[in-house]
Amino acid sequence: MATRPVEKRVKYKTSVKDSGTPGFLRMREEMFIFIPNDPRSTTKLKVQLQTIKGQKHTKEGSNKPPWLNLSNKQGGSYIFEFENYSDLQVCRDFVGKVLAKGEDTYEKPTITSHDEQLSAAEMELRIKLLRENSELQKLHKQFVISGVLTEAEFWATRKKLLGGESNKRSKQQVGLKSGMVSDIKPSTDGRTNRVTFNLTPEVIFQIFAEKPAVRQAFLNFVPNKMSEKDFWTKYFRAEYLHSTKNAVAAAAEAAEDEELAVFLKPDDILASEARRKIRRVDPTLDMDADLGDDYTHVADHGIFRYEIKEATEELNDLYRRTLSQDLNRHAAVVLEGRAVDIDSEDTRTVAEALARAKQVSRANVEIDGGENQERLDRISRMTEMEDLQAPRDPPLAALCIKDPRDYFDSQQANHAEAYESLKEIISLVKAKGLSNPILKSDVAFKVFNGLTHNISSAKYHLGKNPQESVLDRLPNSTKEELLHHWTSIQELLKHFWSSYPITATHLQIKVGRLKDAMSDIYPQLEALKESVQSELRHHVSLLVRPMQQALEAAFQHYDADLQRRSSKVGERPNGYYV
Amino acid sequence: MIFQLEDVRVYFPYDNIYPEQYSYMLELKRALDAKGHCLLEMPTGTGKTIALLSLITSYRLSKPESPVKLIYCTRTVHEMEKTLAELKLLYSYQVQHLGAAAKILAIGLSSRKNLCVNPRVLASENRDSVDAACRKRTANWIRATAAENPNVELCDYFESYEKAASAAILPPGVYTLQDLRAFGKEKGWCPYFLARHVVQFANVIVYSYQYLLDPKVAGIISKELQRESVVVFDEAHNIDNVCIEALSVSVRRQTLEGATRNLNRIKQEIDRFKATDAGRLRAEYNRLVEGLAQRGNLPISDTWLANPALPDDILKEAVPGNIRRAEHFVHVLRRLVQYLRGRLETENVEKEGPVGFVASLNGQAGIDQKTLKFCYDRLHSLMLTLEITDTDEFLHIQTICDFATLVGTYTRGFSIIIEPFDERMPHIPDPVLQLSCHDASLAIKPVFDRFQSVVITSGTLSPIDLYPRLLNFHPVVSRSFKMSLTRDCICPMVLTRGSDQLPVSTKFDMRSDPGVVRNYGKLLVEMVSVVPDGIVCFFVSYSYMDGIIANWNETGILKEIMQHKLVFIETQDVVETTLALDNYRRACDCGRGAVFFSVARGKVAEGIDFDRHYGRLVIMFGVPFQYTLSKILLARLEYLRDTFQIKEGDFLTFDALRQAAQCVGRVIRSKADYGMMIFADKRHVLSILFFFLSTSIRFTSFTYIIFFLMWEQFLRKMAQPYDKGGNSGRRTLLSQEDLEKMGDDGMQDIMHY
Repeated sequence: MATRPVEKRVKYKTSVKDSGTPGFLRMREEMFIFIPNDPRSTTKLKVQLQTIKGQKHTKEGSNKPPWLNLSNKQGGSYIFEFENYSDLQVCRDFVGKVLAKGEDTYEKPTITSHDEQLSAAEMELRIKLLRENSELQKLHKQFVISGVLTEAEFWATRKKLLGGESNKRSKQQVGLKSGMVSDIKPSTDGRTNRVTFNLTPEVIFQIFAEKPAVRQAFLNFVPNKMSEKDFWTKYFRAEYLHSTKNAVAAAAEAAEDEELAVFLKPDDILASEARRKIRRVDPTLDMDADLGDDYTHVADHGIFRYEIKEATEELNDLYRRTLSQDLNRHAAVVLEGRAVDIDSEDTRTVAEALARAKQVSRANVEIDGGENQERLDRISRMTEMEDLQAPRDPPLAALCIKDPRDYFDSQQANHAEAYESLKEIISLVKAKGLSNPILKSDVAFKVFNGLTHNISSAKYHLGKNPQESVLDRLPNSTKEELLHHWTSIQELLKHFWSSYPITATHLQIKVGRLKDAMSDIYPQLEALKESVQSELRHHVSLLVRPMQQALEAAFQHYDADLQRRSSKVGERPNGYYV
Repeated sequence: MIFQLEDVRVYFPYDNIYPEQYSYMLELKRALDAKGHCLLEMPTGTGKTIALLSLITSYRLSKPESPVKLIYCTRTVHEMEKTLAELKLLYSYQVQHLGAAAKILAIGLSSRKNLCVNPRVLASENRDSVDAACRKRTANWIRATAAENPNVELCDYFESYEKAASAAILPPGVYTLQDLRAFGKEKGWCPYFLARHVVQFANVIVYSYQYLLDPKVAGIISKELQRESVVVFDEAHNIDNVCIEALSVSVRRQTLEGATRNLNRIKQEIDRFKATDAGRLRAEYNRLVEGLAQRGNLPISDTWLANPALPDDILKEAVPGNIRRAEHFVHVLRRLVQYLRGRLETENVEKEGPVGFVASLNGQAGIDQKTLKFCYDRLHSLMLTLEITDTDEFLHIQTICDFATLVGTYTRGFSIIIEPFDERMPHIPDPVLQLSCHDASLAIKPVFDRFQSVVITSGTLSPIDLYPRLLNFHPVVSRSFKMSLTRDCICPMVLTRGSDQLPVSTKFDMRSDPGVVRNYGKLLVEMVSVVPDGIVCFFVSYSYMDGIIANWNETGILKEIMQHKLVFIETQDVVETTLALDNYRRACDCGRGAVFFSVARGKVAEGIDFDRHYGRLVIMFGVPFQYTLSKILLARLEYLRDTFQIKEGDFLTFDALRQAAQCVGRVIRSKADYGMMIFADKRHVLSILFFFLSTSIRFTSFTYIIFFLMWEQFLRKMAQPYDKGGNSGRRTLLSQEDLEKMGDDGMQDIMHY
């Protein structure tokens, strides 16, 4: 990963109060150089980046100027004031990257060596996580490198860590808002006749999506013919004319200004789209076809309807657009969803992307011939009267199980168990009704007693200081060892138990590996217990016992399972054979 | 299931049948046996269509010695598609059980616009220009010139269809419009002319009402259908309106201006022909002396809309002498246009009968009744002679001639109404002269006379004795069936007061009251937050809907609604409405949920289903009365009162309620479906709806708070699985076994539970 040098205009400050020397900051992978504008100035800098320990910077939005503070290992610092925050960010990232590079001497080779295909980004993320969390790094080293767990297994239990980040990358597309664009009401200053519209990228996107003619006009006019601001001014002028519902005025203005006319005229792109869509519409609701079949109402025939006259007999029909049309169009666009995934602030990019997306979808439509069949199928499905006919068999996908015995045996046991306990509870509830304290009182009492006993005994042993825990009284090395054992046992157990029920051979192998690793730790715990001084031994054994118990439970389960499996090899109770 | 219904073996494509479907079939069968007409009412959601189709096709199979043809009329093309889809299902079932014996040919028929596959023709915008573009490529004389001049463009599909001639046949099967197009494309034959051709042989034809009722269309499409046919008018509750529309014409200033332009163009053409090919005009003159009867022999591609009037004998008379010569005819038309222009200049509303109008026309313009009667056919003949193919340009003069022919043919049942301006906008002069038909029986009479059995059926035909009077016929069977419900799957309610306890209504004086508008909005906002999936709202008119939406937009109610569901609106633009509906369905399918705003007398209310999750709630804002100040409506009411002794108020209520019942009836498709209906109006006429819905459901009219409790309870109850057969109480679902067990006595029980 070659890092390109960065060069920014900065002011170098020896202290916070210093007004600073203007000049250039050039950053390379190995060092950064400050060259003052004034060649006579003596404040030249040339610092090896390796000597830099950390960096601090001011936050955007705080009312401080953009400062970057690089502290070196000797405790000194260099302060640079940037012209703007984006420059600061570039340099900050650069330094961050270089600093990180110094540290990752260990992870890289280990991670690249595993079997699954990982994207570079994912890999980087894992490296980052390991670097940030030394405990994780230790565990990783212990189990993955030693081969107890594979890389994939290790990370599989930490999906959350990875997922939190990856969510950001493949974020779910946000649908369009239900609100109409026309809902953005202009704000007036109350004194003059001026109105102000606030345009956000979201609104622009919506306008472009709902009005392809405006989008096309934008691509045609901006920036050659007019500026973006003029464009939107004109657009809102047209919207205003529409809102007055004065078709005559609209026609008059459109006649004078051909660019304005584009906004006022009916949308040709929409019209052609509608023509295309109407051919593919469900024939059971195609009212256009009906109109095409209606010879009773050929020009001036039939009973003259009052309703219809109003709308059609306008001379300036061309410049008439109704709220209903807008609503329909809006709902259609919302329903279509976001066709393109762009997060750009740049209006032109948005417009271009939308235009492209439309072309693509049109091309798809032309290629796609199967849709017709699907439409026909749908109609025939819909014609059937559902309650006169027994339901059709729901389509079943055959379940593919490699070793059904594995699946059914363990599953059955679980089911039976769960079922039994559920039955018990239900019968209990049936007999007694739902009593408010769901727990049995004697059980609750026992648990409570046990807990308080532990607390009081710990208090007794630990003296007066409630902050102090047993661990703090142990020697540092023992404490760390203990904690490490605890986390590694947790890790192993997590993997161990999650492998049950064993439905595939790879799980069997994994469980074996885990069991071996756990049996390695067990004597270590014993050794640890022995190693501490006698007065602390009791405390340590108290701490170690739950770990040992957990391990023992695992061993027990492992043996029992193994026995059961070997005894059942011949039986195959479900009648499945591999 | 297959069962015996008296002497007919019925093939029904489901395992079970509703008892009401069974009795419906039985009544229908008796009507067919009696070879008479019948009137059957059965609520929506009981599977009328499939019962009807399966009985009639089975009837045909059981009586092979006298096979009946089924002519199934739907109101709209999309209903036609639905019917054909059901027929497909039935057909595949019958073929599966009977093999080749069950094979039939069933087609849907529509206009060129819906059937054409020639991309160049289809590029035209509307129906009329598609028709014209087709004629430009298929007219007889064009094809004759193309034989000499290779530069003349023809339609390949039509040419290869012509070449195939009698070999061009459709194999048995059920063909929707889409199927016809696909077949035509594959074979290279024109689907439109192919369909027109096979109409004579098909066992089942599905097309829209006007192909039988509107003489303009029926004259060319349906003139040769056999008597042994069963004609079905489905969803026929509005059939009287369709009939009167078919015979009504209006003339406006634009029409007259257009007609004048047309006449100028015709004059030019005549002059051109005189100079180049005077023989043609002479030949036409000779033909006209003999009468217009030969029109029936025109090649299929040259037919145009037929004469708007009905009597057949018109064709056998000789054309009056004063319009035989082309230029004389043009003069007569000019005088007619001039006279109409004069009449439009009036400052008062005028109303006149046809007789008086013809008399004054004769007095002032010297055009007598007989001449008027022949106008349309004379024009048609002239245009053929002049080889005019861009017929879409000549719609105006055609309108004038239609008007002339109608006014010259009928002496009763019509009135001519001239209005100088619209009542609501008296400052804008917009004169219109309307020839409006009041008597629905005129248009449907030839259908009753010609065909053996005519079945009029719908979900709402109440009061059922009104229809025979309106349409002037004598049904042999007239029955109304009740829906048996397994559970109370519809929950109709009347909301009389809004959240603030003020009455709500769309009554004229309250309509624009902001309180009412707000209360309606509040109601909807609360409903969108609790009702899953689709909600449909019906308003009384477009203008009222636009007003209310604008108001809701300003007061922020619309925004609140949009937080819960997407909003789609019916507009007067059909394409836009169709797309909005399509999107609405997708929004319901994907779980987003949506509200559809529609108009009670609009296109959507006329036949789009909002069944299952597409409509869990219908709200009817107000009562959809007709616009009572309309002069045409008043004239019709007067006519109804004088001729049939039907009171004005009764008819208006009847009309409003059948509209309302249709709107809310669209939510239920089967008994497994469920939905709620709210009638938001204080006028209690709506409680009569109880009668209309023909169910045993009680209407509830509650205070506002209980309202929502009810609704939540209803939803919870309905979403549960239930006993479909209704075994616990009434039988609402019969299996094959049940049917076999029941003798005739059992049947009687079902019919009268």
